[in-house]
Amino acid sequence: MAATRSRSKLLWDVISYVVLVGLAFIAIAPIVWTFLTSLKFEEDIVTRTMQYIPSRITFENYVKLWNQSGYPVLVINSLIVTTTTVLLCLLTGTVAAYAFSRFQFKGRTQLMLGYLVVRMFPAVLMIIPLFIIMRQVGLLDSTIGLAIAYTSFLLPLFVWMLKGFFDAAPKELESAARIDGTTRLGAMFMVVIPIARNGLLATCVFVAIAAWNEFLFALMLTTSQGSRTWPVGLQLMVGEFQLPWGMLAAGGMISILPVIVLFAIVQRAMVAGLTAGAVKG
Amino acid sequence: MVEARISYPPPLTLWDRINPVRMIGELSETRYWMYLLLIPSALLITAVVIYPTLYGMQMSFREMRLNRPDLGTGWVGLKHYQRMLTDPIFWVSLRNTAVWVTSAIALEFLIGLIAALALNRNLPGSKVLAVLILLPYFLPNVVAGHMWALMLDPRLGVINDLLVKIGWLEGYKAWFADPSTAMAAAIVVEAWHSFPFFTLLILAGLKGIPSDLYKAADIDGAGPFAQLRLITLPMLKTIIAAAVILRVIGLVNSPDLLLILTSGGPGRSTQVLSLYAFQTAYKDFNFGYAGALSVVMFILLMGFAWAYVRLSKVNED
Amino acid sequence: MATLSINSVRKSFGAVEVLNNIDIEVEDGGFLVLLGPSGCGKSTLLAIIAGLENSSGGDILIGDKNVNDVHPKDRNIAMVFQSYALYPTMPVRRNIGFGLEMRKVAPKDREAAVQRAAELLQIEHLLDRKPGQLSGGQRQRVAMGRAIVRNPDLFLFDEPLSNLDAKLRVEMRTEIKRLHDRLGTTTVYVTHDQVEALTLGTKVAVMKGGVIQQLADPETIYDRPANMFVAGFIGSPTMNFLKGTLEQGDGGLVLRHAAGTLALAGLQQDVAGFVGREVTAGIRPEMLDSGDGPASLTGVVDVVEPTGPDTMVIASVGGQLITARLGPKDRPRPGEPLTLTVDTTAINLFDPVSGNRI
Repeated sequence: MAATRSRSKLLWDVISYVVLVGLAFIAIAPIVWTFLTSLKFEEDIVTRTMQYIPSRITFENYVKLWNQSGYPVLVINSLIVTTTTVLLCLLTGTVAAYAFSRFQFKGRTQLMLGYLVVRMFPAVLMIIPLFIIMRQVGLLDSTIGLAIAYTSFLLPLFVWMLKGFFDAAPKELESAARIDGTTRLGAMFMVVIPIARNGLLATCVFVAIAAWNEFLFALMLTTSQGSRTWPVGLQLMVGEFQLPWGMLAAGGMISILPVIVLFAIVQRAMVAGLTAGAVKG
Repeated sequence: MVEARISYPPPLTLWDRINPVRMIGELSETRYWMYLLLIPSALLITAVVIYPTLYGMQMSFREMRLNRPDLGTGWVGLKHYQRMLTDPIFWVSLRNTAVWVTSAIALEFLIGLIAALALNRNLPGSKVLAVLILLPYFLPNVVAGHMWALMLDPRLGVINDLLVKIGWLEGYKAWFADPSTAMAAAIVVEAWHSFPFFTLLILAGLKGIPSDLYKAADIDGAGPFAQLRLITLPMLKTIIAAAVILRVIGLVNSPDLLLILTSGGPGRSTQVLSLYAFQTAYKDFNFGYAGALSVVMFILLMGFAWAYVRLSKVNED
Repeated sequence: MATLSINSVRKSFGAVEVLNNIDIEVEDGGFLVLLGPSGCGKSTLLAIIAGLENSSGGDILIGDKNVNDVHPKDRNIAMVFQSYALYPTMPVRRNIGFGLEMRKVAPKDREAAVQRAAELLQIEHLLDRKPGQLSGGQRQRVAMGRAIVRNPDLFLFDEPLSNLDAKLRVEMRTEIKRLHDRLGTTTVYVTHDQVEALTLGTKVAVMKGGVIQQLADPETIYDRPANMFVAGFIGSPTMNFLKGTLEQGDGGLVLRHAAGTLALAGLQQDVAGFVGREVTAGIRPEMLDSGDGPASLTGVVDVVEPTGPDTMVIASVGGQLITARLGPKDRPRPGEPLTLTVDTTAINLFDPVSGNRI
């Protein structure tokens, strides 16, 4: 009995490994292939016989992308939009998450559900009016305007995620701090936020990745090179040239590099926050 | 024991009286504090979500064509909604949306579940594999789309080459140009991109199942499949339902990936509702009709949102 | 150091009344224990004293100062929490000194005060660790250090020992008593553990449903409980309740019960109005002994539980189970007949209708 049990456990362990390695391969194969493509010469990409391992390597695609397509400006615009979005969420969302986590008040549940549901509003329904409104107030085609638009779906997410991290800090800690001589404000900054700092970091990274990646709002709300972000720029390259695969691949690799790095660093806290937010609801 | 003596309350210095941090601190001891904390975000959400949504809704009852200013922006009542009833593209889009959402979610759930079950065995090295498996979910749609477009390219796609080499295909295939395969190919890309979402949530759910249940089932002689059917899946019911609803909302909501991969083509074979609304606004510049299409989507989505809220409320009890 | 007055304090959450007209006076240097089952309102009362919650009515006075509108930080109180509530991001040294730091005490004086508190609690060697690296008992000591370092007017304890294992709990209980004897600070202590209440308190308030059932010194609470709730809540094993009829016998009052007649010699209650009526007698297990006498009950042994110093015997008398605390050598067997004599001088009679002590 024990022997068959341990043998069947071994069998399932082997199956699990096969499944996991297979899925990991499927998950990263497109990234690896794109990376390999970005290192190939154009004629090696469009060759008749497929080159699985590049026969020769070049950084020409990266150089061309950087010097000719205005990619640096796109990246800088994206950085500005991402930073502004994170700052807006930090300034307005941190205190809101704190209030939801710490206080009981009339309408709390309704307001929290409201924050949950606005995330589910159709993007298209908001983009069209946002386009008109932004044009009226002169924020259309500006990085600030785009960042403000991003808070429409990222701020509620930020609040929900961060609330989960604040909830993990016991309420007695604030009581202790207030008896020790701080105000509620002091307890928040000196005791609770330091405890939740990993969660705060993970939440910020998640919002940053989402803002960095966003395509649809950026496509609609920016119209010129001055404020265009990299996803839009990359997509427009498809039209401008005859499918410049090498450059597209290079652009893709450069753009996902920060995402991969950030994800790898804070993935544990971020995963915890994401699932907590979705499950607790 | 004589400790440091402090007088209560401590006397205020001049700086204390004008120190803004101290003043906010004093404010935080009042009962208005929580409302003050909520105001900034509530204002922002009102400005960028509530107001635009209401604006969009009233737009759906107006004539609003940017390329036809001569028509004005007067009220037209239910005109746009009536047009929808007889608009064949709307119905095709609705049907495609249903196919797109159900197939993608079925595939994502299946792969996500298998990945989560395998990861939950906590084998050595599975932490690293987990990072790799979860990675696609965090990649941008634009890059995901281009990666797969490159691999499925009719002339230089590596997947075509592999399939031909192992003999499943006679020659290279233009997956996205053929109406019979375009949707399926797009669903594969979408599934690759979002299955980690299910993995994430199911894994979290699995961690919450007490291991005693499995020990008891082992002693009762239940095999792995019986345990999956009788313990794991029932215990994960709520979390799976929540994940499915969230994905439905995400998929109905965002046309990004299809916009990048196919723009709804060839023909109308991959035209979904969100994409149709989007193109009505930004290709035809018919904001009124696009608004009406979005309102229909809104109603659809709020149905799912309601289901989600109900579900999570049940969870709280 | 100061007195504490709780005057007609009420608290309701919506329609739910959590505290109902609480009146308590604690003298300077007194030790008040709020005792009761969970949900009785004792922790809410403590939070109101601390200023962490607002009352719906009534006054709290520390010294002779009404503190209703004083923020917790300005009340000069210190509190030890059930979960200890140590700041996890700060080392022990800063945890203990945090209150002094917030009150802008010079670093040198602060350091000296922290050092003295640490010596008193024997935790000098832990000062540079983070709370996460400490054991439960060590955390408890740090939490107490944080409370005593400021020399507050009032110590508040919120079930401080309930997260400790049994042995440590007894040890820390002694420690708290020693600290109170030494510092003499007025203290309010919340617990659901009657042993803690009786050993520590100079005054015990037994609470239930937001109402004080009895407010008295520990001896009175134990010997003359105000009602059957207090009688049943205090003491382990719990008090036996026997219903019987009170009658005027030849030599005085007797209680007639199915399992025997108890001559109530030395009864300390005035029960004139209850003669001829049914009453409930509260008999603690240690008031029973094996043997016959003028007040005795006969029954059958059900279960025997030797505990070392005592033998607990659960016997069926007149169809009812009662517990007797007998000597260690006294080991009747289950099923045997048993006669128990009752020490009637310590008996308490209750009105079975109201539950109050007659």
